[in-house]
Amino acid sequence: MNNNSNKMFFLFILFFSTLISISSNSWFGCWIGLEINLLSFIPLISNSKNLLSVETSLKYFLTQSLASINFLFMILIKFSLLKNFDMNNIISIMMNSSLLMKMGSAPFHFWFPNIVEGLSWMNNFMLMTWQKISPMILLSYYFNKNFLIFMIIMNLIIGSLGGLNQTSLRKLLAFSSINNLGWMIFSIMISENLWLFYFLIYSMMIFMMISLFFLMNMYFMNQLFINNMNFFIKLNLLINFLSLGGLPPFMGFMPKWIIINFLLINKFYFLTFIFMMTSLIIIYYYIRIIYSSFMFNYFKMKWMNLLMKNNMSLINLSSFISISSMILSTFIFM
Amino acid sequence: MCFNSLFFLFFFMLINFFFLVYFIMNGLSVFFEWENVTFNSMSIVMSILLDWMSLLFMMFVSLISSVVIFYSKSYMNSELNLNRFIILVLMFVFSMVLLIISPNLISILLGWDGLGLISYCLVIYYQNLKSYNAGMLTALSNRIGDVMILMVICWVMNYGSWNYIFYFDFMKNDYVMFIISFMIIIAAMTKSAQIPFSSWLPAAMAAPTPVSALVHSSTLVTAGVYLLIRFNYLLIDMFFFKVLLFLSILTMFMSGISANYEFDLKKIIALSTLSQLGLMMSILSLGFPDIAFFHLLTHSMFKALLFMCAGVIIHMMNDIQDIRYMGGLSLYIPLTSLCLNISNLSLCGIPFLSGFYSKDLILEMVSFNSFNLMVFILFYLSTGLTVFYTFRLIMYVMINDFNLMMIYNLYDEDYIMLNSMFVLLFMSLLSGSFLSWFIFSYPYMIYLPFNLKLMVIYVSILGSILGFMVSNMSIYSLNKLLMSYNLSSFLCLMWFMPNLSTYGLSYIYLNFSQILFKNIDMGWSEIYSGKGIFNILKNYSVFYNVYQMNNFKIYLFSFILYFMILFIFFFI
Repeated sequence: MNNNSNKMFFLFILFFSTLISISSNSWFGCWIGLEINLLSFIPLISNSKNLLSVETSLKYFLTQSLASINFLFMILIKFSLLKNFDMNNIISIMMNSSLLMKMGSAPFHFWFPNIVEGLSWMNNFMLMTWQKISPMILLSYYFNKNFLIFMIIMNLIIGSLGGLNQTSLRKLLAFSSINNLGWMIFSIMISENLWLFYFLIYSMMIFMMISLFFLMNMYFMNQLFINNMNFFIKLNLLINFLSLGGLPPFMGFMPKWIIINFLLINKFYFLTFIFMMTSLIIIYYYIRIIYSSFMFNYFKMKWMNLLMKNNMSLINLSSFISISSMILSTFIFM
Repeated sequence: MCFNSLFFLFFFMLINFFFLVYFIMNGLSVFFEWENVTFNSMSIVMSILLDWMSLLFMMFVSLISSVVIFYSKSYMNSELNLNRFIILVLMFVFSMVLLIISPNLISILLGWDGLGLISYCLVIYYQNLKSYNAGMLTALSNRIGDVMILMVICWVMNYGSWNYIFYFDFMKNDYVMFIISFMIIIAAMTKSAQIPFSSWLPAAMAAPTPVSALVHSSTLVTAGVYLLIRFNYLLIDMFFFKVLLFLSILTMFMSGISANYEFDLKKIIALSTLSQLGLMMSILSLGFPDIAFFHLLTHSMFKALLFMCAGVIIHMMNDIQDIRYMGGLSLYIPLTSLCLNISNLSLCGIPFLSGFYSKDLILEMVSFNSFNLMVFILFYLSTGLTVFYTFRLIMYVMINDFNLMMIYNLYDEDYIMLNSMFVLLFMSLLSGSFLSWFIFSYPYMIYLPFNLKLMVIYVSILGSILGFMVSNMSIYSLNKLLMSYNLSSFLCLMWFMPNLSTYGLSYIYLNFSQILFKNIDMGWSEIYSGKGIFNILKNYSVFYNVYQMNNFKIYLFSFILYFMILFIFFFI
């Protein structure tokens, strides 16, 4: 369904459903939002001409509906059997588990790389950013600290180790998204404002990456160095990947830095160590990608200036923002 | 470029000479000071002190450098980048002048470091492996002195200013001055190649001969002596001065012996320079700074002349420096052999040449004042050794048979080199008497018994006979070399000290670092951090993939199982 007004309709309902979910007074309203979210996302991703895409949408439907059913069930149990609002018990664990399943966080993440493999880049973008908003905010309403810390560790480790063996760019970004979920869940435990900050920057970085890959029509790693990319596109790729990995002068360092700050203030020393080390592994495979794209193949033709297509000004703007945002952010407080 | 610098430096020398005469006649000295920066209590100033000592030294330095630059116009005429060479030499002269005129430790450091750096650049001028090694040895030995002066600068900050000349009388007994004197003595020892640091001077003969004539005869190596002369009031009663006496006498003796075993022309001259430096340092540490200064100046004259003659001979002998290939040259190159003879005899202290005035005065002062028996013996023995190697050199180079080739052309008429040598010849003849009448306002009173007075002549005659006899060694002479092999090699190789400075310092660390590199960098560190961690992660990732690549229903079933277990826990 390209350039179809149906898409606009479903997108509108998607946005609206998230807003319903996060701004409702009762748990039931949250559940309604989640269901409408599922229902409106499925038409966006299923394309009846493509068998893989149908299968993908079916998988998505199954997992998400399972999670929604669990969520509804837990809400009902909570209302009927427990009268007091207690933070650390089994019900909160089960509610959090169902929300984690919605998001695609470990240990319920196995569907996530499978599904991103079957989606196009823009749908991936929706899946990785927008679909995570409402589960996370719902998570922040009733979370179990110990359980979530355990889940964070699992997220980080799986996100870093799983990505080492991938050659498909979509799966790579999926595992990186799982890793970043770990950071975001921790930021939820600190404050919602912090989560918003991290989420906004993360989604901006993901948007730049995905738009670059979308414009170049690249889905696999070998496509990075087979075709002849312009130098500025490669530079943009480098900057965005390093920013996503959290390397200092770039934009992606700032949210990670602030989260580490809060980790250390709250004395989560071992957890800090795990955050650091998995971050290093992730940067390793980003650099592997960049390295292969920069070094393996470089030729310039003299008579043609290739690949200035599809509105590159967006890419230039994104590079500028990635590099200079750390400095520009210090002007906020002036 | 050579002409311009010749005239400029000669003119500079004349200016210095006139000022010198005026200053000595009127007993003047001038002190300029420009204040650059003042911190809380320290002020960094640029000072210039012009008294008779600095003007005299500047005159000699500029004379020698002007002559040497003119000489190198012909000596290095096959050099493509002659301008580069001349610029280096001029920068060297500039640093030396800066060192001479400064009463201020910061500008001494500038001159000192400049000397060390530019002498490194000049030693490695011929870019072959031997020059690189020699340059590294030179630069690192000099660097020790630089570090010592830097530390002196730190310690002198206790006193509020870096003009050291004001503090000598007041602070003699201070602990800080004790440390400063120790470091200054070590710095002077590195620069003038006394015993622990003496291995660089023969090695630095890898430099071109004009560089040796300027740098290693008169200016670089005398910078240390000059520094000690300036600091003399401070150092007179200090303990380390006596240590310096001991080491400099040993230097004098050792280099005199080693020069007798050498067959390389420039190395012999280098070792004779080392011997004379030991002489200067020892007479300085006995408490006679002005005699040391006197000997410094006369020595610079005839040693520069000697190096220049050696340069002419080397050019003639098809760039061979080995004296066993030379012989009988006095017949063919009369003018050069004139210069060579006069400088050699002046070195020995033959009466009324310039070296006689300073050397004889030194020896008579040593005999007149009551010093150690060892001091006495080593002084006279070293004088005899000087004559010994000088006569050996003269016999090998000038008198014995010519050993190079059947057909030869010995060309003496290079008037550029000869003119520059004649200037120094003139000065080498006259500077002794000129200086002794000029800088000593009253002569030293010496009253010695007859035999003691003639002791110099006795050792000189003995040395000359030995030199004559040693130079007559031939292939059939009675050769008991193996009996004295250990002793000979000990004495020939400068008492094995170069090995200590070069191989001994670096071998143990390089060996250790090789062990570390093989075992750690290319060994365990790879398992524990480089490749090892990568392998672990890769294995984990592969293991994880086993779980990831599954049927979808298994995932869903695992989720349901999870919830079932949790549910059961809830109800239990």
